Amino acid sequence: MAVPTLAERRPEIFLAVLLSLCLVALSLQVRRPGGRTVGEGWLLTAVSPFVDLVTGVRSAFHDAGTWAASRHALRVENGALKAEVDSLRAELLRLRDAEEDKGRLLELFGAQPTPPPGTFPARLIAVESSGPFQTALLDRGAGDGLQLDGVVLARSGLLGRVIALGPRTARVQLLADNTAAVGVLLTHASRGGRVAVAKGDGQGGVSVEYVPTIEQVEPNDVLISSGTDGLYPGGLPVGRVKAVKRNKTLFWEIQVSPAADAHRESIVFVLPPVRKSDITSGPSVAERR
Amino acid sequence: MKALRLAIGLSLAVLATLALGALHFPAPPDFFLLVVADMARGGAAVPAMLVGLPAGLFEDTLLSPGHLLGLHAFSKILIGYLLATLGARTVVEKPVAVGGLLAGAVLVEAATLTFLVWVLKGEFLPPAPWRLLARAGTTGLLGGLLYAASRIPWKQRRDARRRVRLT
Repeated sequence: MAVPTLAERRPEIFLAVLLSLCLVALSLQVRRPGGRTVGEGWLLTAVSPFVDLVTGVRSAFHDAGTWAASRHALRVENGALKAEVDSLRAELLRLRDAEEDKGRLLELFGAQPTPPPGTFPARLIAVESSGPFQTALLDRGAGDGLQLDGVVLARSGLLGRVIALGPRTARVQLLADNTAAVGVLLTHASRGGRVAVAKGDGQGGVSVEYVPTIEQVEPNDVLISSGTDGLYPGGLPVGRVKAVKRNKTLFWEIQVSPAADAHRESIVFVLPPVRKSDITSGPSVAERR
Repeated sequence: MKALRLAIGLSLAVLATLALGALHFPAPPDFFLLVVADMARGGAAVPAMLVGLPAGLFEDTLLSPGHLLGLHAFSKILIGYLLATLGARTVVEKPVAVGGLLAGAVLVEAATLTFLVWVLKGEFLPPAPWRLLARAGTTGLLGGLLYAASRIPWKQRRDARRRVRLT
């Protein structure tokens, strides 16, 4: 079957052209309710994809610009927020530290609501416990009212005494020092107390000497200062019996866990030195409260 | 000759349309369709369409002044093409068949006009059926009569009468 040529299709082409012209003429006359003619509507429909394309490209450029600007602003803001977070973290740590100090102070004041006159709070700024001589450094000295042989008391018990004074610092001999000794009462709930001497072992601990094996000593027995050594007032917690061993002598070998640990304390109280009149079995600090 | 015939045909169609309109004739025939059909009789589609264009524009001007110019032109061009195509492929000899064909053309044109108005204005406004059928009938009748009249050999009869008088 032969395909009709263009010349043979002339009537159809002519028909299409004439009908199209009529349609165009008609569409330019018909006005729709929106106010525009049908031709304008068709024209708008025909060009709407191009309008959409141009609008889309313009919108994309605008969005990209907005995105870049907002990204820069967000980065700047992010940097500022990070700096602020770091600052707030430091502030939080400082406040936590202050809160802990406040808690310790409250605990100390709660334990000794009326400390003896001449009692000063001080901060432990250094602890030297590497050798046999175990000492600590306070941030207060003679200029702040501290005296030599002042008794250093932590919240949980006796810590030591002042052995050297500077204008703004003081050195404390801890109970665990190799050369430190304190008269103690070895107490038990059912057996009462027995006077003994506790000495530092130079290794962070304390041992009790000269307790005959005929005495009954058990772990967890409490040691408090006896007030008979001329250095420490009586009634202050010294520690607890950690272990009891029998050796070849007539005395027990008693190891004690100190009540106060200088490594765990940051704030202490420095009591005035014991007067000679207090050496006897006079009123202890606990009784003086 | 054809141009003259066309000019006379269109003029008569305009006059007849105006005259019947002035007389308020209820279902006047479509005279312009008759002009287009006359041009399409030989099977030439392009001349039929070229006649359909001015015929339709005249009809638009006369029948719907101030409205859509080109509505009847569209339908007349289409009718001209269809009639010419039909005339080129079939042989319609009897006046009744010609009348029926013209009546059908009126119906096709009415359908085309209704469709166009619906597309352009969004309103579906079909003509009243009785009026449409009456218009198709009068157009078919007039077209059939004209076709029958055109087939009468008027010249030969006149020449024959003249020869009879001379002898």
